[in-house]
Amino acid sequence: MPTLSPSVRKSATLIYHFAERESKARYKRSILGWFWSFMNPLTTVIVYSFVFGVVYGAKAPLTSNGNAENFGLYLFTGLVVWSLFTGIVNGSMGWLTSVSDLRKKIYFPTETALLGGAAANAVQTSLEVVVLIAIMLVAANLSWTLIFLPIAVLMALFFALGLGFIAAIYNARYRDIQYLVGILLNVAFFAVPIVYTPTLLDNDDIPDIVRILVEWNPPALFVEIARDATYFLEVPQWNRMLAALAWTVVTFSIGWWYFRDQSMAISEEP
Amino acid sequence: MNTGSIHVRGVSKRFRLERNRPSSLKEALLRTGKKKDVDDFWALRDIDLDIEPGAFFGLIGHNGSGKSTLLRLMANIHAPTTGEIEATGRLSALLELGSGFHPDLTGRENVYLNGAMLGLSRRQMAESMDRIIEFSGIGEFIDEPVKIYSSGMYVRLGFAVAVNVDPEILLVDEVIAVGDEEFQRRCMDHMHQLRDKGTTIVLVSHNAGLMSRLCDRVGWLDHGRLLALGDATEVVDRYLAHVNSAGDNTLTTHD
Repeated sequence: MPTLSPSVRKSATLIYHFAERESKARYKRSILGWFWSFMNPLTTVIVYSFVFGVVYGAKAPLTSNGNAENFGLYLFTGLVVWSLFTGIVNGSMGWLTSVSDLRKKIYFPTETALLGGAAANAVQTSLEVVVLIAIMLVAANLSWTLIFLPIAVLMALFFALGLGFIAAIYNARYRDIQYLVGILLNVAFFAVPIVYTPTLLDNDDIPDIVRILVEWNPPALFVEIARDATYFLEVPQWNRMLAALAWTVVTFSIGWWYFRDQSMAISEEP
Repeated sequence: MNTGSIHVRGVSKRFRLERNRPSSLKEALLRTGKKKDVDDFWALRDIDLDIEPGAFFGLIGHNGSGKSTLLRLMANIHAPTTGEIEATGRLSALLELGSGFHPDLTGRENVYLNGAMLGLSRRQMAESMDRIIEFSGIGEFIDEPVKIYSSGMYVRLGFAVAVNVDPEILLVDEVIAVGDEEFQRRCMDHMHQLRDKGTTIVLVSHNAGLMSRLCDRVGWLDHGRLLALGDATEVVDRYLAHVNSAGDNTLTTHD
């Protein structure tokens, strides 16, 4: 490909390599392999629907055409985006540490390890999206608004990478960061309306600030846009789209810049 | 033609040695505001040198003189603290035992990974795979994880990759001393072949005989400074004279 500069081609080859390694490592020594990537979200959906839908009697909002009113589906749509987000933020730190010894002996652009890991997670998410669309097809709940789903997924991916770049550099210095990030993500899970609906917060006991936080935090925006696209079959509100895009562009740019600025020092860490 | 050249301009390299470095976030936070216990160590100071295409350049000096650091800077492993290094051309480096191998991957996978890091596609690497396996002489071990390799196998595979990827610049850090004699001879032959093809080679060693035999030009590093730069035999002779006189001094002081 003569149009690609050598450094771009080199990075592309490396990203592919790291993505392949991440995907292979995930289901190494397993017989059923990719089957598990379907099983994991599926069991989560079944367990959560039972606990929240049956035990607690949580009601999912009705879809626009009234074809689906299923807490499991409502949940699954949110989980697809959320697991991509956490997978990348959590994974970034490990992807960098796993190549840092190598980087002390040979030069290569370290960001390719993170981009490759993110690509592997994106493949996993695509499989989940296929399952989601298949179920929605059976439920006759599909519309052209589906085109907003990949947009939501891509924004979640680049936003997560931005955070992942920063977390990975800090984690190279202090391994505490990975535990801290793990805890923060567990907390954040409940700041995003995944296992509950935002309408649950329409309660006078809940301060406005909580409502604003839950509605406008970036992962929640990505989740809501994905839900508009596949569950409610509505065009996402433009101000949410704009906010989500702004979060994504700003976070990814800062993360990328910070990582590029600091990554040469990785080889000097003891 | 300027591929295969290295230009080092005003390069200094400082390593920060942080004593009692905080090993956890808690410690780091507890210590905020307190003065850091930092030692600056200047591994290189104001180095200027140009290595022209096709040159066989040697770096000589005692242990800790900064020659390996300079080679690492040329390989872009570390960034210089001041100054700049410009290396044009595909650069392949053999810096230490098993440089650039991932222990969990097999030899074959590592060869592909190394190729990717040098900017070679999988197909290009597949074409040279047989040559690499043959040259390294590690046979069926190529499909075993490299962590089970002996140190000799490590170096042989490393060298086989480094020289068979058709580099324009080859950096070698006295690793060839590890293999057995037959392998060492093959390495020498191969380096000669590469030089005849026009590959620029930079070799680091304190083996004076080897240096004056192989290199056209030699730089002599001492405590991070370039003491001499020029014709190989001339610089090596000065280096040897210095080493011998230092040796005499220590002998006399002991007496």
